[in-house]
Amino acid sequence: MSDPRSRLALGVAAIALALYALFFAGDYALHVLTRAGIYAIAAIGYQLIFGRLGALSLAQGCFFGLGAYAAGLGALELGLGFPLTLAAGVLLPSLLAALIAIPVLRLASHYFALATLGIAQLALLVATNWTDVTGGANGLYGVPPIETGTLSFGHGLPLTLLVWACVGLALTVSHRMTAGQRGLKVETLREAPLAAAALGIDGSAIRFRFFVASAALGGLAGALQAHAVGVVSPDVLQFHVLVLILAMTVIGGRASPLGAVLGALLLVHLPEWFRDFADYYLVVYGAALLAAIIFLPRGLAGLFGKSEMPPVETADAEAPRDPAPHTLSVETVSKRFGGVTALDSVSLTLAPGEILGLIGPNGSGKTTLVNLLSGIDKPDGGRILLGDADITGKPPEYIARSGLCRSFQHPQIAPDLTVLESVEAVTAEGESAAARVTEAGLSDRANENAGTLPPAALKHLEIARALAAGASVLALDEPAAGMNEVERANLAALLKRLADAGHGILLIDHAMDFLLPLADRVICLSAGRVVAEGTPADVARDPAAINAYFGESPL
Amino acid sequence: MFLKSAAVALTALLATSLTAKAETIPVLVPITGFLSLEGTSQRNGAVLAIERYGKDLGLDAEVTDTGTSPEGAVTALRRALEDKPSAAVASMLGTQMLAMLPIAGRAGVPLLTVSGTAKITEIGIPWVFRFFPGDSVVKVAQARYAIEELGAKRPALLHQTTAYGQSGAEHLRRIMRELGAPLVFEEAIDISVKDMLPALTRMQEAKPDLILLHLHSGSTALVIRQARDQNIALPILAGSAMHQPTTAALLEPKQLAGVCAESASSPISEPEGQVEDFTAEYRARFGTEPDAFALAQYDGVSMLIAAKNAGARTAAEVRDWLASNSYDGLAMTYKSDGKGNMAHDAVVVCYDGKSAVPVIKRRYENVSGVK
Repeated sequence: MSDPRSRLALGVAAIALALYALFFAGDYALHVLTRAGIYAIAAIGYQLIFGRLGALSLAQGCFFGLGAYAAGLGALELGLGFPLTLAAGVLLPSLLAALIAIPVLRLASHYFALATLGIAQLALLVATNWTDVTGGANGLYGVPPIETGTLSFGHGLPLTLLVWACVGLALTVSHRMTAGQRGLKVETLREAPLAAAALGIDGSAIRFRFFVASAALGGLAGALQAHAVGVVSPDVLQFHVLVLILAMTVIGGRASPLGAVLGALLLVHLPEWFRDFADYYLVVYGAALLAAIIFLPRGLAGLFGKSEMPPVETADAEAPRDPAPHTLSVETVSKRFGGVTALDSVSLTLAPGEILGLIGPNGSGKTTLVNLLSGIDKPDGGRILLGDADITGKPPEYIARSGLCRSFQHPQIAPDLTVLESVEAVTAEGESAAARVTEAGLSDRANENAGTLPPAALKHLEIARALAAGASVLALDEPAAGMNEVERANLAALLKRLADAGHGILLIDHAMDFLLPLADRVICLSAGRVVAEGTPADVARDPAAINAYFGESPL
Repeated sequence: MFLKSAAVALTALLATSLTAKAETIPVLVPITGFLSLEGTSQRNGAVLAIERYGKDLGLDAEVTDTGTSPEGAVTALRRALEDKPSAAVASMLGTQMLAMLPIAGRAGVPLLTVSGTAKITEIGIPWVFRFFPGDSVVKVAQARYAIEELGAKRPALLHQTTAYGQSGAEHLRRIMRELGAPLVFEEAIDISVKDMLPALTRMQEAKPDLILLHLHSGSTALVIRQARDQNIALPILAGSAMHQPTTAALLEPKQLAGVCAESASSPISEPEGQVEDFTAEYRARFGTEPDAFALAQYDGVSMLIAAKNAGARTAAEVRDWLASNSYDGLAMTYKSDGKGNMAHDAVVVCYDGKSAVPVIKRRYENVSGVK
């Protein structure tokens, strides 16, 4: 909500809604408003896992239903009162999510979707067939209205206010999980998961937290639903519940908690508004949804503008910190893919302040080596040391936090983040994002979206992120690819400055007129083996390097 | 003079409009979702009765689709209660009724339904009136016909996983055992299952001599079609879904050979009398064939109108009248058993393999002994 007019419009709308609920809405209108609030909570939860992380979980309806069953069983079988039933409704789906998170969250997108769908179907089968506990297809009926002490929230305005107070709670939780650098990390993780890991973002921990939080909010909504409706049947676990929550998230606006609320308000009220169309109300409802998707690609929340960080003045940025010096040592590292040996006993060292050129024909193993160094692949043999620390086979985020970061042949970025936000997302404690943006020569573009940057600026952005993440060693995979002479000269100057500041740089590139003058030493790989090593001049004249890569000496 | 004429005209207009629409009867039924066929029949029956008998009282019907979720039904009911009706026609889906009943009870509005789910009249809320015989009636008829007429000794049962399916299965399991022919096979089928062969194959291994079905319309047709395609020639005694013309229309007449079904009634099987008139009027109004749900809801609303004609105006008066009087409907005579169960008769219809119109083979009257 960047502009004041949008914020004002939203504030007025919220106040108008509150006044309507307090003074004008009848029992039916309050009931519909209550339903909207309940679904808003589930949608805010779903937005965390689907909207923010981009993981298509098909279990949110299941968590909603489990929350309803937990609250219903707690009240009817265990005699629990409110708010213990609410706690049960939050706890059961949260526990299930935590239990299944470890195997499920490792899966790639479509397998993740299928796995979560399987869990949802399993829950539905249990609810339908475990008749003694769940009441079978009839379900549980007579779930008491919400009462605590002398206060009754059974129905009408008290229930509506309670539910919307819970919406406020859900918004607070969502805000705390996605505000500031946390939100930037999540955006980077969704749009560029490999880069996120290689820059020290612990994707597993974030996915786990968000999955459990989405389950907790789904369960909270389900528990409220159980008390509001008084019946819990397998219907709450049916696929259509998920579809409704998904539609609310998409139509409201995938990345905004406000969108989840707006989506819930719209999708719960639309069918009621269209009741007078009798048999055709679903057709009108469908047409309205289609129109919303076509004409509001950013969802309803898009009407209120994009949330942005305030523009940052980079001129006054603090000077960047010098890195802690680390020597990178690679000892007889090997990697095989099936019957293909990609790397065969490769060894090298990279001292602080040194630029080591890595050259070789396509398929010689250069990128594979960078993947092993950065933890994206694990070696089959050998050791990798960063200083005294053995980082062999460690996860990418561990290696990044240890001080080794990399760039990619094709820059991995979050296109909707500005340059400064992209760097802020990975900035280590004590580092300054603005300083690193300035250092990388991007201060003029600090507030531009990364997705709009030209290729050369993207390469600089990747370097700025690596520096902000606290890297003392940089592994740069073809940073000069596609650059013109001026851009290469700027990049060379930047790398030289970084080396002078104590960074060790492993530099892969095919542009010999860029790499050879810049590198202190060069290693030539061919078919996964080191065939030449030495100063740039020595390697350029080495018969093995000429035979394997140059064809003729570049000197 | 002009003003006076205008005032008189306006008063007359207002009076006419007030007379023309004294009360709207909410019809809250599932016309979308897996119960849309049955729910549409329920709606049509209610609407036809109001149009036929309610005009003089200024009654009108307002139909609201409840879908198949309890919350959808609750929302529809709360909307309807805004107008403070004296009664409402309510969903035939048991889980929806269980959600609506406490609200109707608090509001003091009687609900008229054709739901077969036993529990709705067992939870002690005296605002429900069921005009379709419950499982305690129709399942007795189905079980007795299986044993007494078809000679079953080794029956197998396929039932739905819904509330309707589980409730009926529970009754059939018990009654068949009590009548000396316990089930030799039983399987629950989800409403979304389209391939019935695995269930049929497993069933055959139990070597049954009769197939009992307690399924919704679509599943009933699928089981019969696939059983006949597999040359499973066992007699089939189905639940009330099979008596519906819309179900029979999904099958070839020859596939219906050896198929019978329990029901509250079968309007299209009645060749003469008031039921035939009802059928003709229903066809003319809706362009489709009526079934027992339509007739039962028609009778239920007709009884409501009878209550109003007898002077019941408020919701409480309507409830008291329905609870304490009997009514001769087209399908049967209705009388409350004290819990709101109004229907106590059943029929078994059978197809001859040449026509999609079944013949009433046997009537079971006053099964619950209330009348």
